[in-house]
Amino acid sequence: MTEPLLSVRGLTKDFQVGTVFSRRRVRAVNDVSFDLPAGRITALVGESGSGKSTIARCLARLEQPSAGQVLLDGEDVLRTERRRASRAYRRKVQMVFQDPFGSLNPVHRIEHFLTRALVLHGHSATPEALRELMTTVGLTEDMLQSYPHELSGGQRQRVSIARALAVEPRLILADEPTSMLDVSVRVGVLNLMRRLRDERNIAMLYITHDLGSARYLADTTMVMFAGELVEGGDALAVMDAPAHPYTRLLLSAVPDPERAGSYDPVERAKLREAILNPTSCPYGDDGTCSRTEPVRHIVGEDDGQPHWVRCHLRAPASDIARRVLKATDRPDGEATDDTDATEKAETTAA
Amino acid sequence: MEPVLEVNGLRVEYRGDGRTVVGADDVSFSIGAGEVFGLAGESGCGKSTIANAVMRLLKPPAEITAGSIRFQGRDVLALDARELRAFRWREIAMVFQSAMNSLNPVLTVGEQIVDIFTTHERMKKRAARERAGELLELVGIDPGRLKAYPHQLSGGMRQRVVIAMAVALRPRLLIMDEPTTALDVVVQQEIMAQIRDLQRELGFSILFITHDMSLMVELSDRMGVMYGGRIVELADAKDLFAHPLHPYTEALMNAFPPLTGPRQELTGLFDAPRTADSCGFHVRCPEDRSDCSTNIPDLREVAPGRWVARSGAHSPEGASR
Repeated sequence: MTEPLLSVRGLTKDFQVGTVFSRRRVRAVNDVSFDLPAGRITALVGESGSGKSTIARCLARLEQPSAGQVLLDGEDVLRTERRRASRAYRRKVQMVFQDPFGSLNPVHRIEHFLTRALVLHGHSATPEALRELMTTVGLTEDMLQSYPHELSGGQRQRVSIARALAVEPRLILADEPTSMLDVSVRVGVLNLMRRLRDERNIAMLYITHDLGSARYLADTTMVMFAGELVEGGDALAVMDAPAHPYTRLLLSAVPDPERAGSYDPVERAKLREAILNPTSCPYGDDGTCSRTEPVRHIVGEDDGQPHWVRCHLRAPASDIARRVLKATDRPDGEATDDTDATEKAETTAA
Repeated sequence: MEPVLEVNGLRVEYRGDGRTVVGADDVSFSIGAGEVFGLAGESGCGKSTIANAVMRLLKPPAEITAGSIRFQGRDVLALDARELRAFRWREIAMVFQSAMNSLNPVLTVGEQIVDIFTTHERMKKRAARERAGELLELVGIDPGRLKAYPHQLSGGMRQRVVIAMAVALRPRLLIMDEPTTALDVVVQQEIMAQIRDLQRELGFSILFITHDMSLMVELSDRMGVMYGGRIVELADAKDLFAHPLHPYTEALMNAFPPLTGPRQELTGLFDAPRTADSCGFHVRCPEDRSDCSTNIPDLREVAPGRWVARSGAHSPEGASR
């Protein structure tokens, strides 16, 4: 595969919550790494509160990550631009928000939004440029004179996309762009995103909790749970052969009359436990995850894309043995050198 | 068996200056005791108009110009203001679309639930508080949360509180207008399970409104698909999903990307609004549509319990399973 446009390495974001007296930290995103290649749509799925929007906000530079690197064309933008994003960054990375009713100022005409985006980023706002933007997103030229309230939700979301396109970005971050739209226009917006990917070679991060649309639209899907990525790979492979228990639960929650009743509340209760205590995964038979954190295991490959999962249950047998040994080798309260333990385990396994 | 709710030939018009929009046109359906009846359709198809008409919540410029609504034999449209006060909530309760935001942010959840009992049942505060606690337990929330303000609860919990409040007075019919639209899939599934449990326990009927066909089929016994203010198909929910007879039903089902099968291009719903004298959707229909050119045809029964608004030229293959 070609060099990724944007790489995220070890992204972590903590929020401080509570009053002065009861301040504590909540880790919204924990050590997340992934690549966004040009011309591909990467979906990030997960339930509310899993941290997927925080990732988008970090990449849009609306939040300052607590740790990690964001590499755009190989350069760590967090290092070179410490606080806010530069205009040069925004020229490459644009965002489309969830709420098309809140993201367009009601006192301006559509023309204003597009003109402003063009001019701010050094393009000239010629009538041809405006017309081209409008037709690209499937709107008519006369809508330039409309106010946001005169347009439907779907049309407004198209304006948001046109505004993002005005700067000719190389990456679009779309945070639930269709969840507030009516069914009648949802597919239209998805198809538009797909066309932009194909025609303009734009990379997209598509954040959603609608698994069906992720399967429909994305090339790659990543599943997020409690601030961590737990599974990733080809969009069809992840949905059709989910390897992580959480992905399976998420899929079973999608209403589908053909397999009604597959959702298991007991599984759900286990997951709740895991959210409250993020260091323990509830699925290991012997609680392996509560002792050691799972690492990525490759479980398959589709179209040259590895399908990986972070789960002990899918680890190769020797791997599991190593981890269990490593964990049991460590007496309580006594710090053992990790490499030491691993070496010991390896010799035992051999 | 006598139906709980019977809507017959209902027509609702929104009257503006010089222009009238028909919100619902010749809508007829009935809901039996303990039955879950679903109404599906895109925004603007009139499904919420129906719900508001049944609750008598329509305000000018909306006007009911024809038809009848009978609830357990009583004429709902004839109720006066005093009767309505007793009728709403006690007989029919409604969970609104943005129910999560319909809680008062400056009152605790407990105060708001207690309010129902003190106002409608003239209960003493202490007894009401006890009932409020039981009610929260019923929807799986710790009664200790009575002291919580709405913003201290998650979206899913707020939605449960609102549902608990709706069933507080044991209504015979619960109207739910897109109860889970703003929630993610996992929470949505929990809420749906909750609703099913409550319904089993309390035995009320449900009028369930949503645009999500899959969700609807999972919950409903029978369902109607609305388009442009008219019901275009009415049938047993599973039948309808397995063999849609109306092209609009099919289009609505295909508006959601599926979770299985090969990935294929979807077209979504057609963006042609219905005008006063044409269906609007008919441009999309493949078959003979000679009697659709002026309006959506009337519903015809093509098999027992299976109604579809389509011209008579073709046979209902698949309808008779």
